[in-house]
Amino acid sequence: MTLPVFAIVGHPNKGKSSIVSTLSEDESVAISPVPGTTINNRHYPLAVDDAILYELIDTPGFQRARAAFEWMRNHAASAMDRADSVRRFIEVHRDDPHFAAECQLLTPIMAGAGILYVVDGSRPFGEDYEAEMEILRWTGQASMALINMILINMIGESDYSEDWRKALGQYFRIVRVFDVMEADFNRRLQLLSAFGELREEWRAPLEKAIQILREEQARRQALTARVIAEMLVGMMTHVNRQMLSMNDATDAVRESLLENYKHDLIRMEQACRDEVERIYHHKHLQRQEPLVKLLDEDMFSRQSWVLFGLTRKQLIATGAIGGAAAGGVIDLVAHGTSLLLGSGLGALAGGVSAWLTSDRIANINVLGHPLGGKEISIGPMPNINFPYVVLGRALLHHRIVEERTHAHRGPLAIDPQSLNWQLSDVNTRRRFEKIFSKLRKQETGSADLLTSLAALIEDQFKGTLKTESDSE
Amino acid sequence: MTHFSLLSDLINLSRVLEADRAIDLDERKQRDRAVGLTLQHDRNKPASQIRAWLYKLSSAANLTQGQQGARLYHLLCVALVVAGFIAGWGLASVVLFYDGKQPINIVNTLVILVLPQLLLLLLWVLTALPLRLTIISSMGAMLGFLNPGRLARHAAELFAGKDKQGLDILWHSDHATILMPATRWLFSFWSQLFAFCFNIGILAKVLFLVSFSDLAFVWSTTLTINDGAFHQLLTILSTPWAAIFADAVPSAELVANSRYFRLDEGALSDVASTTQQAITLGQWWPFLLAAISCYGLLPRLLTLGISWYRFRHHMRTALCNLPGAPELLARMNSPLVSTLAEAPEQALNIVVESDTGKPEASHYTLRCPLVDWSGACSDESLISQWIASMGIEVSAFHEAGGRLSTQQDAELMASLCGDAPDGISVLVKAWEPPMLEFLDFLRGLRQRCGEKRPIVVLMLGDTDNVDASDRETWQLTLAQLGDPNLHVESVVRSL
Repeated sequence: MTLPVFAIVGHPNKGKSSIVSTLSEDESVAISPVPGTTINNRHYPLAVDDAILYELIDTPGFQRARAAFEWMRNHAASAMDRADSVRRFIEVHRDDPHFAAECQLLTPIMAGAGILYVVDGSRPFGEDYEAEMEILRWTGQASMALINMILINMIGESDYSEDWRKALGQYFRIVRVFDVMEADFNRRLQLLSAFGELREEWRAPLEKAIQILREEQARRQALTARVIAEMLVGMMTHVNRQMLSMNDATDAVRESLLENYKHDLIRMEQACRDEVERIYHHKHLQRQEPLVKLLDEDMFSRQSWVLFGLTRKQLIATGAIGGAAAGGVIDLVAHGTSLLLGSGLGALAGGVSAWLTSDRIANINVLGHPLGGKEISIGPMPNINFPYVVLGRALLHHRIVEERTHAHRGPLAIDPQSLNWQLSDVNTRRRFEKIFSKLRKQETGSADLLTSLAALIEDQFKGTLKTESDSE
Repeated sequence: MTHFSLLSDLINLSRVLEADRAIDLDERKQRDRAVGLTLQHDRNKPASQIRAWLYKLSSAANLTQGQQGARLYHLLCVALVVAGFIAGWGLASVVLFYDGKQPINIVNTLVILVLPQLLLLLLWVLTALPLRLTIISSMGAMLGFLNPGRLARHAAELFAGKDKQGLDILWHSDHATILMPATRWLFSFWSQLFAFCFNIGILAKVLFLVSFSDLAFVWSTTLTINDGAFHQLLTILSTPWAAIFADAVPSAELVANSRYFRLDEGALSDVASTTQQAITLGQWWPFLLAAISCYGLLPRLLTLGISWYRFRHHMRTALCNLPGAPELLARMNSPLVSTLAEAPEQALNIVVESDTGKPEASHYTLRCPLVDWSGACSDESLISQWIASMGIEVSAFHEAGGRLSTQQDAELMASLCGDAPDGISVLVKAWEPPMLEFLDFLRGLRQRCGEKRPIVVLMLGDTDNVDASDRETWQLTLAQLGDPNLHVESVVRSL
């Protein structure tokens, strides 16, 4: 069975690279305003470990199609010689810079690649396309024409797709319309599946490739859900602490802790965004998103007295128990005749001395560390709505990233105001709340809590997110 | 490569995964899949896979934090062993104090050395239950300060330099939540280690006293309990070891001979001789040793084992649940699917002269032929009208490109330049990019018509005026020719 190989060909600047970018999810494809900058074929294989299932080839656009076709016509005695004429053209002009683009793009086609001829449906058909379409026909290879609808849908340009259909229909057996900017994952797979129409023998490997891409997409969603779950747990349970001696002022420290806390939450959210974008192969997105805001800042600042990790009450209790134990020895020696007076007095003495001396002990430095003092802490976030806000923002971001094709070159604008996220049902909300409630109280008795949260988030990817544009 | 402890690996993995996020995801995918393929035999053992991955990819320098953490953990274990032993020895010294005047009450000894331990054991069982029971969880938190394991944590924070702790990921990191079950069992392990050594200390002291001094044990009661009833109680208590250690079960005779009355400076119920009395009263020690071992040491050994096992189990679970770990496993065990280009793009780096920024000239005074390139416009009168406003008067219309042959283009060039016009204007479709064959045409014109004659390329929009992006494309491309007398203009469609 031959490997399905598809050469994407056409006029320069008509969206070949955009289609390749979209299908290969490769944003490194250069899109230049100057035509003819692409000088070599670029190969985009679908590789699964070391096995290649199909290959796309981005080719330079035709530059001197008329002259090339004239040469071929002059060297073909009959219709039978056409493919040979094209082959001879490549052999003769392989090292001729004049026909470098034509030789480059025709080489993989003559080696058996299927032809995907790309035109721009927003621009009228012209006679200058005829020479290149003739050459492609002369190659005798399976071919399909793709009418690219980029500008029509993006900026409302005129739609010439019907004219193109008529013209292309004379040269290509299959003509399809494709909008690279709006093509979501399923549409991309549909197009890939359509490539199978070119040759019967390519259908099976392409179906296998589609299956693998579906599995890969499912893995991406699972990974994204996990990354979002990790972010949520991190943001909800994050605590900033600082120990102070008994005499230190707390206001400035509290302020700085709060600033650090906000910064940490923003950092966690941004890191999650970056990772999600990387999962979907968007490495250079310029994100435009308002930063996450804290809700009820005053609610989660705490100050407590600690000594050797114990609160004052715990310290007094420890002192009392220690005293009671020591007093108990006296009771024991007295064979119980002391009527537990030793234990009682010991407990009293231990508790009172712990209470009286605690502050002084707290200020003692051991190896440069005070034994105790005031502990100021910010977090964990107690606000009930906070995780839902963060989750909603993350789901919106994921949806936009997942649907964005790699042909887009502009910034990624995210407007959380447009989000109208609803949990799919009451039961799901309950399950979320159960996990969030545990996180708020820092009661995470099992490590699979993250897994449960990730599974719930993954369920949310299946279409409960609505934005204003959807509503419209 | 040397293998480290599970705890060391947990600490290291947490830090390595954190740092790993900075590496490009595709790079991570390739790297981890390559490692994963060599570890397929461990596919069903995720913790082993992750540890193997850690050893393969981390240099010894990256693993120091974990080793430091593990060292601190071992140091604390040793400290708790010593503290527990000393506490047990000390308590046994007090309880078994005997100066020959008052014999030791065996009941008091058991009540102090064994009963509290059994009660604490019961508390441990309650707190070891799943945290789902809120009341148990609250009780655990309330009594947490009595836990030597928790105190060990504070000691670690206090006495170890912060940068050398390593262990602090268990309680002072963003991973503390995920690691909480492991941390809980670590505290339990530490406290049971203390308790186990506490019992060892007691037993060691008992054996020491038995070996190098004489002890006299008695029992005493005000109640009307006869010797037989007390013996029955002791026999029940001795049931666990009766079969294998019969000497440690007090005989009825020993019980009868050890009953003690404090009246008149102390009197035994059946006194034979002082030496015989001392030997008789000392025979309780096997029972005491067996009781402490059975009700103190062995349960603690069991709880220590359970705690150690649960601690390791939760560490292993945490190893696979740390942020980034499931992702790592997925990368190792899923096929590497790549749709990206094989090699970086090689594009021509076109340096455009300053001409590109040149504003379009608005007015000419030219009477020249107009070449319609590739059928840009079929209406000659309309185009004449539009470009007249730019000061260009069309002297003749010609066609080139498109369906015409290159030979016809060449002939046109020859004839145009032969007439020596003021200049030449070429009408093009602005929406189609200038291709090399058009540049060939312009070069041909320039070659035949001389360097001075102006050539004006007139861009025509399809339905409206020329797009800025199209204009830019044309300007940038034609600027490559470096021709100072080549002008690029947009045709304004006017009524």
